[in-house]
Formats: sequence, structure tokens, C-alpha cells
Amino acid sequence: MQALQSLADALLGLMTPMSLFHVAWATLLGIFVGSLPGLTATMGVALLTTLTYTLDRDAAILVLICMYVGAIYGGSRSAILLNIPGTPASAATSLDGYPLAQKGQAANAMALATAGSALGTLVGIVLLVMLAPPLAEIALDFGSFEFFWLALFGIVISGQLTGGGSVLKGYIAGLLGLMVAMIGSEGIHAHVRFNLGLSDLNGGIALIPAMVGAFGFAEVLTVMWRPKGEMLDSSSESTSALPRLIDLWRYKFTIIRSGIIGTIVGIIPGVGEDIGAWSSYAAARKLSKEPELYGKGSTEGLTAAETGNSAVVPGALIPALTLAVPGSAPAAVLIAALFIHGIRPGPMIMIEQPDFIYNIAAMLVLATVAIAVFGLSLTRVFIKILKVPRELLMPIVFTLCVIGPYALTQRVFDIWVMLFFGLAGFVLRRMNYPMAPLVLGIILGTLLDKSLRRGLTLSNGDLSPFFTRPISATFALIIGVSILLGIPAVRRTLARLLPGRRETVAQDEP
Amino acid sequence: MLGISMLVGGYTMDRLEIRQIHPASIPGLVPMGLGVAMIICSTLLIVSAGSGTDQSAPAERGSFKNLFVSIILCIGYAAGLLGKMPFALATGIFIFVFSLYFSWTDGERNSRSTLILVALMALFAAVFSGAISLLFQYGFLVRLP
Repeated sequence: MQALQSLADALLGLMTPMSLFHVAWATLLGIFVGSLPGLTATMGVALLTTLTYTLDRDAAILVLICMYVGAIYGGSRSAILLNIPGTPASAATSLDGYPLAQKGQAANAMALATAGSALGTLVGIVLLVMLAPPLAEIALDFGSFEFFWLALFGIVISGQLTGGGSVLKGYIAGLLGLMVAMIGSEGIHAHVRFNLGLSDLNGGIALIPAMVGAFGFAEVLTVMWRPKGEMLDSSSESTSALPRLIDLWRYKFTIIRSGIIGTIVGIIPGVGEDIGAWSSYAAARKLSKEPELYGKGSTEGLTAAETGNSAVVPGALIPALTLAVPGSAPAAVLIAALFIHGIRPGPMIMIEQPDFIYNIAAMLVLATVAIAVFGLSLTRVFIKILKVPRELLMPIVFTLCVIGPYALTQRVFDIWVMLFFGLAGFVLRRMNYPMAPLVLGIILGTLLDKSLRRGLTLSNGDLSPFFTRPISATFALIIGVSILLGIPAVRRTLARLLPGRRETVAQDEP
Repeated sequence: MLGISMLVGGYTMDRLEIRQIHPASIPGLVPMGLGVAMIICSTLLIVSAGSGTDQSAPAERGSFKNLFVSIILCIGYAAGLLGKMPFALATGIFIFVFSLYFSWTDGERNSRSTLILVALMALFAAVFSGAISLLFQYGFLVRLP
């Protein structure tokens, strides 16, 4: 009750004309970014961070949150109309959205996607308000030992779940991120590591240029490399752009379930919106009365995917705010933005700024209302936006990739960092290495390094506290089991020992 | 190779004995661990690739010509043009060349449509390079490169 009261107070505080103006333009821009293939939510938030550093703190964070929510929702447009997900988060949406559009129900599909996104975000917001304060309280008991395991947990789980068919590639991406984080002055003795003789590297690799490169420049190259998408002609269809309430009522359990699954996936460090959408989609298909329609234009499947990916947004902010560990790649950029604006996310947030979590929840509510309003009223406008040719859009995006990171520090070196990460990111993606563990590695590297060495100093070189303290032991056990389950031989042995699982494992392995 | 470099780099890193730091807090500790982990993961990946158990998705197909031209234009702009001339001019040239090249390769055209295309792209480049320069220079008070 107290939480709801705080949320209502925060909402009232944001009801100023200037805040609502920021909500409107940032959400619209987010939907625009998300709907264009090649412009991802991470890239949008990273680029906008460079544009908002002159705004005051609350306005800047409001704008970034609206961009994040808008972009994740906007990805559904191109997934439905082009069969190309605007962002990776909408990959599951295209499975049923595109077949629906082919049947002449594009507007209905987009309306359902809008309703699903809005409701998914709302479920996530409720869980954010309920879970973040107690989690921050638990995190107050964390010491160096626990933070070391938490950082390792994030990278292992993220590598495991985003690595696709090859868990090893997920782990290697995480290790690469950690190695990047080792560059520059370390946090305990201020000793400069791996600067390769370049004084510009003494301060380490800044996150924003690296992210703008890996998600911006790499996307520009990917878009120009790929063949052009063909858009369906939806001008002749007459279906309403409003979702049918009966559909939403019919799928009420799917919406709630997908919202909860999405939020939980969001809480897991570094596991982003795409996994949230796929998990929700898979659960909905398993429990559906019409599983045969999935992949052929199931409105239930579309709703589940969109609810799932949007619920990840508030979920990803739970660990980002309370532990400073991002739940997704855009949340990683948001953490960097929070630091730029003088906010220190982490266990102390409920003590230092107890209202901040409710402010974030209120910002999410406003962004949700905005996507619902814009999504339902501007359906036809967004169809036109998708026709912007890539050859006009991409040079503008690249120019922003160059000037954005430069604007933050006015160092030409950051442009070089952006170029390096863009080229490396493109190559790694083509080789099917996931980007999320890499980003998480860059973010968590310092925490992992400092926590391990500080913990060992406190225990005088004794490793046992890393395994005997209750929270540490739990993390160590989960990490150990996760790594073991990632080994195909262990999975096969388990499948033989557990007859009930044999069928599932057989389906997992081609 | 990266794993081995990290391991060697971590091992040979200054132990800061002169500052009498705790031996467990040496700066090279985590890099050494990362090096070992990278060696293990890479070896396993090579073994799994050799035995055909790598289940990652097959690579997509795309136009390497487009990719190559994009890389040349982008790096040429960021590393070649910027700093050597006013930002707005460098950006204008980049946007014009990039958009014109990829629009040009889209289909056949006669001399009249070519002229219209070039004029449109020049206008597009001028408007956007001017707008971006003004936004950053006067909106965000950035000293442009």
C-alpha cells in the first residue's frame, strides 16, 4: 500500500507540461527508432544519452526511459509488416505478426501488439515496485564475496542464455567484455593495466563509445550488408486499428503469465528482451488450446511475445537500480547514464534516494500510456515511417554515432573506440557471438576485479569465505550447476538418468 | 592467442612489492584468471567445432560489396575528413556520397532522373549536416571536431 502511495506521489510529481512534453517526443522517437530495422533500443538509448547530458537529471532519465520503452514496442511494427524485427526483442513477434499481416490483419496485429506491450510493461511495473525495495534491502548484506559471485553469475547466465546453440561463444563474449574492463587504471592500487603505451587508455574504455560502436556502427554495417526487406501492402485492408477487447479478455492469463515471465527474465542479469519474448511465447504455446496456430498467425502467440518483451523493461531495471547490475543491454547504458547524471545505483539507493525507484516506476507508467496512445492512434503513420530508405537513414545514424560519444568527453580518441567496437561487434555478430555478455563483461569487470581482490585481502588470501557465506554459497552453487548443464555430455547423461526429460532434451538438440 | 597474452600479461604485471600490498590483491590476478578461462573456452570451442557439435546458427548471407563500401565511407569520414575541414562540410560530403552511392546502385536511370537524384541528395545532405552541426554546436554547446 505504501509502495502504491509512493508511486502515485511520483506520478503526480511528473504531471508537469514539460515532463509530458518530454514523454511525448521521447516515446515517439523511441517508437521510430524501434520500428526501423537496424536501429535497436540499446543504440537509441546510447545515442540519446549523449544528447541528454545537458538536461536536468529527472528530465534526462525520463527521456531515456521513454526511449527504451518506445523502442522495444516499436520493433513490433517492422516485425509485423516486413517480417524483419525492428529490434532483436521482436523476433518472436514476427513469427505470428507477419502471417497475420499476410492475411490482411496487419492493423489488428499492430493493435494487439500495442495492447500486449502496454499491459506487459504494467505487469512489470507492479513487480518492480514490489520487488526492488526488498531486493535492495537484501543487497545491503552483500560484501565483496557476494559481489564477486554476483558479477560472475551475471556473465555466466547471460552467456548461457544468449549464446544460442553455442554456450561457449556466450562465455567467450563475456570473457572478452571482462578483458576490455581490465584496460586502464584499476580500482584498488590505481595501477595502469594493458594501456599498450597509449595514455588515452589510462582511464580505461568508456562504456558509451563502446556501446555506440557495438550497437550503432555495427548495426549500420549490418543493415547495409543485408538484403533490403520487402514491405507488405497494408493500404487496402479495413481491419480496425483498435484491439478487440474480447481478444484481450480471452488472453488475460496469457498476458499475466507472459508479463511475469518477462519480468523474471528481465531480472536475470544481461538476459534481455529477446529471451523474454521467446520464453513467454514458448510458455504460451505449451499451454495454449490452439498450439497448431502458432507460427501461422496466432493472435495469442503475438500477444504473448509482445507482452513478454515489454515486461522485461521494468524487470531489467530491478537489478540495475538495486545492484547496479543491468538486466539487459539497454539497462546497461541506462546505468552509465545514471552515473553521468550523478545517481549511484546499487544497494544504497533505497537509503540515499528512497523515492527514486518510484520515480522510475512513474516514468515507466507515463511511457506505457504514451505507447498505448501513439501506438493505437498513429498506426498508419508508422507504416509510412517504415518506408524511409536505409541509404538515407544510415549516414545520419553514423554521423550521430561519431558526434554523440565525442560530445560527452570532447576526445577524438572516443571516436576511434567507437569505430573499433563497431567493426569488432560486426565481425563477432557474424560469427554468432552474442553482444549482451560482452556488454555485461565491460560493465561488471571492475566490480568482479575489485570484489575478488578485496575479498581475498579481507580473508588474508583464504578462499573459503567465497564458498561458506550463505549468499555466496548459493551463487556458487547456481553458477556451478549452470556451467555443468551447459556441457552437452552432462545434459545427455541427465537425459538418460531422468526418463521424463528425455523427450524435452531430444527436442532441444537437432 | 588472446587468452595466452592475457595470462602472460597478468603474470608479468608489476606486483607492486615496493608498496607492500597484500599478495592476494596484485593487479595481475584477475587478468591471469581471465587468460586461463579464455584458453579453456577457446580450446573447447575448437574441439567442438572439429567434432561438429557446435550448434550455433548458420551465418546469414549479405552483400560484401555494400559492406566494403560502407566501411570505407564510414572510416573515411571519421578518420579522414573529420578534423581536416569544418564539421558541417565533412558531414555534408559524407552524407551526400553515402546516400548517392547506395541510391545510385538501386536501379537504371536516364540523365534527367540522375540530375534530380544528385540534386535531391545534395539538398538532403546539406539540410541534415547543417541541422546536426547547429544542434550540437549551439544546442549542446559542443566544440565540434
